[in-house]
Amino acid sequence: MANQRALPQSKESLLQNYNKRLKDDIRSILDNLTEIIKTAKVEDETQVSRATQAEQDHYEMHVRAANIVRAGESLMKLVSDLKQFLILNDFPSVNEAISLQNQQLRSLQEECDKKLTSLRDEIAIDLYELEEEYYSSSYSQLDSTDLPLCEAYRRWDSWASPDGGDISGSAHGGVEDTDGPTSQETSPKHDLNGHGTTAAVDEP
Amino acid sequence: MANDRLRALEEVENQVATILQCAGNIVLELSKDKHNASFLDRQLSQFTVSVNRVETELSSQIKYLTQVATGQPHEGSTYSARKDCQMALNRAEYARVKLGELGRTCEVMLDPQP
Repeated sequence: MANQRALPQSKESLLQNYNKRLKDDIRSILDNLTEIIKTAKVEDETQVSRATQAEQDHYEMHVRAANIVRAGESLMKLVSDLKQFLILNDFPSVNEAISLQNQQLRSLQEECDKKLTSLRDEIAIDLYELEEEYYSSSYSQLDSTDLPLCEAYRRWDSWASPDGGDISGSAHGGVEDTDGPTSQETSPKHDLNGHGTTAAVDEP
Repeated sequence: MANDRLRALEEVENQVATILQCAGNIVLELSKDKHNASFLDRQLSQFTVSVNRVETELSSQIKYLTQVATGQPHEGSTYSARKDCQMALNRAEYARVKLGELGRTCEVMLDPQP
């Protein structure tokens, strides 16, 4: 009782009503069954005729049996109301259910994103190889301002390597690699114009 | 935790059915010319046990609700986590569709129709 908070009047009266209904229904079931068992006792001396007494006992048992069934039905309704009240007002369990659901949803989302990220990484590796193959063939039409992925990585590697010196030197070296005949000698297959083999044949 | 209490209330419903069943069996046995005393005793003891269980369990549930209920509506929600998860699933589905298209394109290129 010391731990009981000051509930709103509606909630408190509702819970008191539940208590009252419980007590009344249990009391009704017990009393009516007791009376049925008492009435079932055969008495030799009756105030009215035996037939009348039998008829009265029969009717009384019917009514009491109906009372027992009504009390049982009322108990089922009480249980249903308690379930509803529990679902709506049992905050600890509601909080726990919400946190559990959030945790499950977040873990599913993280797993999904992790798999997508690994898929992206795998496809990026394959794409790198495919681009390298494609842009080194004679079928590519490369715009000078549009670098393929492999070339961009190559330039980034040359800038980042310590042997390349400063950025301007390595960039200049990178630029030299792309134009002039030097590139054809060092990497004859790598051509940016799509005319590699033809140019090599045409040159004297 | 919530499921345990709800399961306990469902068990109470079964006990109420048992109460009515036992009461009916007792009255049925009393209606016979010769009563089976042992059967009556068993039914009566089961009836008493069920009544006590129902009363105890429902009283404890009402007492727990008296301590826990605040009278305020609960404002918690799983909407944000559910939305994020739904978006992740949409991303995965989109990736699957695009990869499927890419696969079909590659098949068409590699195996052209005669």
